Amino acid sequence: MPQFKDLMTPLERAKAMSTGQPVDRLQCNPNLSNGIARISGCRISEFNHDPRALADAVIATHRRFGGDGAKVFTDLFTVAEAMGAKIKFPDDDTADLLEPAIDDVSRIDELEPIDPEKACRIPVHLKAMEMVVDEISSEVPCTALVVGPFTTAFFLIGVEKMTRLMVRDPQSVDRLCQVSLESTLRYVDAAASRGMGISIAEPLSSCTVVSPKHFRRYAAPAVGKLLNHIKDKGMGTSMHICGKTDGIWEDLADMGLNALSIDNVVPLPDCVSKVGDRMKIMGKVDPSSVMFAGTREEVRKACLSDIRDAYRSPKGFALMSGCGLPVETPIRNIDAMMDATRELGWPITEEKQEKALAIDRYDD
Amino acid sequence: MEKENMLKELARSVVDMDEETSAELSKSYVEAGFDAYDGISSGLSVGMDEAGRLYEEEEYYIPELLLCSDAMYAGLDVLKPHLRRDDSSETYKAVVGVVEGDTHDIGKNLFKVMLETVGFEVYDLGRDVPPKEFVDKAIEVGAHLVGMSTLMTTTMPNMPIVIDLLKAEGIRDKTIVMVGGGPISRSFAQKIGADGYEPEASAGARLARELVTTKLETMSHAAV
Repeated sequence: MPQFKDLMTPLERAKAMSTGQPVDRLQCNPNLSNGIARISGCRISEFNHDPRALADAVIATHRRFGGDGAKVFTDLFTVAEAMGAKIKFPDDDTADLLEPAIDDVSRIDELEPIDPEKACRIPVHLKAMEMVVDEISSEVPCTALVVGPFTTAFFLIGVEKMTRLMVRDPQSVDRLCQVSLESTLRYVDAAASRGMGISIAEPLSSCTVVSPKHFRRYAAPAVGKLLNHIKDKGMGTSMHICGKTDGIWEDLADMGLNALSIDNVVPLPDCVSKVGDRMKIMGKVDPSSVMFAGTREEVRKACLSDIRDAYRSPKGFALMSGCGLPVETPIRNIDAMMDATRELGWPITEEKQEKALAIDRYDD
Repeated sequence: MEKENMLKELARSVVDMDEETSAELSKSYVEAGFDAYDGISSGLSVGMDEAGRLYEEEEYYIPELLLCSDAMYAGLDVLKPHLRRDDSSETYKAVVGVVEGDTHDIGKNLFKVMLETVGFEVYDLGRDVPPKEFVDKAIEVGAHLVGMSTLMTTTMPNMPIVIDLLKAEGIRDKTIVMVGGGPISRSFAQKIGADGYEPEASAGARLARELVTTKLETMSHAAV
């Protein structure tokens, strides 16, 4: 169990931060992904047809850890599935792509934007969002984690085909991104109408996969339109991109992204110094070697060191894991992550940090 | 065109991701009576090596690398039927796959392509492969190398299981084991008793060839 207590709800904290008022601690979101099933005690596959199970897992996770956002999300394939991709649903593990929606560019015209109220698992998600908003939105900012249009486009035609098309057939990539964007916008509208905020996951925009040149050519137009669409609703957005992203930080800031969540493979101080004056920065505790495989003290030290690297970031910093946590991440490590921010409290001073870093708090 | 120039052009067609040119050049290369094995090892493979270097330098990314490998295969398809029989004795066999529980396979696919460029015949078991399947296939084809990859911490324990199964079958001593993927580190590879680890696919393939060659030499000495 946590050693330290929060003095504000996440919603109070978010409101105070946005108006420059004092808060009780830095914002923190451990980013649990499908591990939320372990907190409410359901099987991961129950998410796929039971909105109550999904909502309960999100709510239980909020109550257990007190993280600064409650996200409704199951996997990267919900929109692609609704457009015809075939998905594999293991009993108690994250869903995965089995077959893309189409096998050839000649079939792009067959792809239709989704009707979110009807398509596959999306109504389950929307129903879960209603429950989550109803039950906890007075305490915590609730967001739908929406898969970005560029990433979904890969799942419509298959990852390898899409990567080849980027060099061989630019027009087809544009058409795939266009129809994917249209679906994404409809999904965003449906989620926003339930009172949800919007976060975006765009893993395949990563420079680990495509070059910054291709990101600018193909992903940026669709992602930019998505950001504008959300902005027009009076909302801000955060985005997570896995792997290397330093080649496209400036682009993301130029597009008007409000908060960027970075992976542990990129240097946090660089991100802060290059784009911290334009976006809130979030990150980047290693989800695998630290959060999953580390001791509580290793988690604590990693968190303290990230905070030291980034707490002065002009547009703000929130502590997060560098990507979604593995399902079996020890719960005590997640507590240790949250507690690191509570231990430092507010305001954060260099003296407090030095003192915290100099001692061990856990003996395991 | 003289041979040296043609080899250079072959390599260039791979780096340029030009499938058609690679196939056409390979055709004129064999028609000119040059050796197919050299065409592969000093032409196409050199191009793929260069592509790998560009990838490491972040000049090329995964799409470019895939297209380079398409071009390499286009040339390979033309040259392969012209290989002399004794060249094939140089081919090593590798079994690769993503361990059970994981389906991320970009890294494994790159490693496969790179292995082929350094002269391996590769049996690709795909993704989400149960430990026993690695071992069964290794026995079936007489693999010199078993390569396992994963991107998920949760599936890492399947790697030592494969190594134990290889031991139980009595073929661990004859088989090089390499592991790779996002969460894998050199220390993890050492801990589970793997023979090799490299973070990058191209360097990994070069290491694979080195490890297999050394092992075969050691074994032939041991036999004396």
